[in-house]
Amino acid sequence: MAGLASPRAATRDVEAPSPLFEVGRRPSTLGYIREMWRRRHFAAAMPLEEMRVQHMTSVLGNLWHILNPLLMTGVYFLVFGVVLGTDRGVDNFMAFLAIGVFQYHYTQKSVMAGSRSVVSNQGLIRSLTFPRAILPLASVIAQMIAFVPPLLVIFLIALLTGETLTWTWALLVPLVVAQGFLNLGGALLFARLTHKIPDMENILPFLFRLVFYGSGVLYSVDRFIASGMGQMMFDLNPLYGYISMARWAIMGDSVSDTAVIAAAVWTVVALVVGFFFFIGGEQEYANE
Amino acid sequence: MSEAAAIAPAAQASTRVMVRVEEACVRYRVHTERRPTMRERLTGARRATPSYVEAVRGVSLDVRAGDILGLIGGNGAGKSTLMRAMGGLLPPHRGRVLAVTQPVLLGVGAALKPQLSGRRNITLGLLALGMTRTQAHALGPDVVEFAELDEALDRPLKTYSSGMKARLHFAIATTVAPEILLVDEALSVGDQSFKEKSAARLQELKERAGAVVVVSHSLDEIAETCNRVCWMKDGQIVMDDGPDEVVAAYRKTVPSKKRKKQAR
Repeated sequence: MAGLASPRAATRDVEAPSPLFEVGRRPSTLGYIREMWRRRHFAAAMPLEEMRVQHMTSVLGNLWHILNPLLMTGVYFLVFGVVLGTDRGVDNFMAFLAIGVFQYHYTQKSVMAGSRSVVSNQGLIRSLTFPRAILPLASVIAQMIAFVPPLLVIFLIALLTGETLTWTWALLVPLVVAQGFLNLGGALLFARLTHKIPDMENILPFLFRLVFYGSGVLYSVDRFIASGMGQMMFDLNPLYGYISMARWAIMGDSVSDTAVIAAAVWTVVALVVGFFFFIGGEQEYANE
Repeated sequence: MSEAAAIAPAAQASTRVMVRVEEACVRYRVHTERRPTMRERLTGARRATPSYVEAVRGVSLDVRAGDILGLIGGNGAGKSTLMRAMGGLLPPHRGRVLAVTQPVLLGVGAALKPQLSGRRNITLGLLALGMTRTQAHALGPDVVEFAELDEALDRPLKTYSSGMKARLHFAIATTVAPEILLVDEALSVGDQSFKEKSAARLQELKERAGAVVVVSHSLDEIAETCNRVCWMKDGQIVMDDGPDEVVAAYRKTVPSKKRKKQAR
C-alpha cells in the first residue's frame, strides 16, 4: 500500500499512555456478578432462541415436555398405585404422583443440562468473551420456562381429581423459582466437574436415581418409614422438601419444618458453593 | 508527503498502544495417545498426568492505534493461539496480555442459530458481543445495510451461502465498532466485492484510531490490507516489519512448487 508508512518493529521504550487492563483475567467476584448482570440480555436470549428453534422444528416436540412426564406419571400410577398398592395413606395419588414426578424431572433436567453446558459450548467459549457462568444459567432458565406447561398440568390434574382451589396454589410459583436456585447451584457445580472429569456424565444418572428413590416421589414416606432416623434422612433431602411443600400447597398434605428448613439451607449452600466452585475454573474452560 | 509525516519519530512515539503482549506463553492441554502399560490395560485407567503443547512461547508485541497487523506463518505456528490470547480467550500461563478495551474476535458465528432467520441472528449476534437489547435494535439496520442481505433477511441462516454468512458475521462484528478487532481467517471467504468491502471497513476502523489484527494464509491479502506484518514460527515472532518485506522474506522460505501455486 503506497500511501501508508509501515511502522518499524515495536520499540519497547514507548510508554503506553492509556490505562491497560489485563485481558482474560478473572475479575473480582462482585465484578463477575456485575458482568453477568450486564450480559443478562444475552443470557436470556440463548435459551429463548433455542426454544424458538425447537418450537419451529416440530410441533409435537414441544408437547413432549408435558407428554413425557405425564405418561411417566401414568405408568407409575398403574404400577405403584393400582398394581402394587403403594398408594396407601395418600388421598389423591394421581396429583401426589404428578407433583413428585414433574418436580423431580425439573431438577434432574436442569442439572443434567447444566452439567453439559460447558463441554458442549466449546465453540462459543473459544470465540466470545462473557462470564461462563451464563452457560449453566441459560440451561436452568430454559428448564424454568419449560416447567410452565407441567405446572399448568399439575393445576389441571388437581382440579380434575377434586382438590379445592385455594390461595396456597399460588405459592407454587415462588417455590418453582426457589427450586430453580437449587438447580442452578447443582448445574454450576456439575458443569465444572463434568468439564474436569468427563466420566461425570455417566455417574450423574446414577446419582439421580438415588435422589429419585430418596425423594418420596412414588410413595408417602410416613406410611413406610417408622423410625425417626429414616424420616430425618428424607427430611434432609432438599428435593423431598420441595416436593412436600408443593404437595402441601396443592393438597394440604403435611410437611415437617425440618424438611422446609433443610430445603432452604440446601438451596443457599448449593448456590454459593456451586457458584464459587464454577468461577474458580473460569480460566480453564477454553482449554479442550 | 503524508508518508514522511507518518514516519516522523514524534508522531510514532505518541501512538497509543492498544494491545501489549508481554512475554506471553500459551499452551494447550492435550491427551496424547500412548501405548498403555500392562497395568493400564488391565484396569482400563488412563494415566492422569496431562501433557501440553506449547503453542506460543514467549511472545512480546505492541499493537498500536492505526495498526492493521497481519500474522503469517505455517500451520501450527501459533497465530490463532496468539490471537485468542489477545482476545482474552486463552489466558497465557506465563506472561500477560494487556489491552485498552476488550478486543472483539470475529467469531460471532458460534453464537448464531442456523435454523433462525438472519434478522433474529443479527440480534442474537449483537447481544453475544455485549450489546444491550436497545443497542442491538439500534444497530440492527446498520448490520443489514452492510451485509446487503435485505431479501434474505427472513430466511433461515442455514439457507445462506458461505459468502452471505461471511458478510453477516463480518457485519455484526464490525458494526459494534470495536476498538480492537481480531480477524481469524475470516477474510479469505467471500467474493471479490465482499473482500473490497471488508478491506474498506478495516480501513475505517483503523482510521478511527482502532487496531486490527489479522491472521490469514493468503499472503496477497495480507500484503494489501495490512500496514505491518509479523511472521510467526514455532510459537515465536521471527520477523516484525512492513508487509512487503515480511511477505517477501516468508515467500523465500516456501519451496518453489508452493511458490508457483501462491503466485497464481
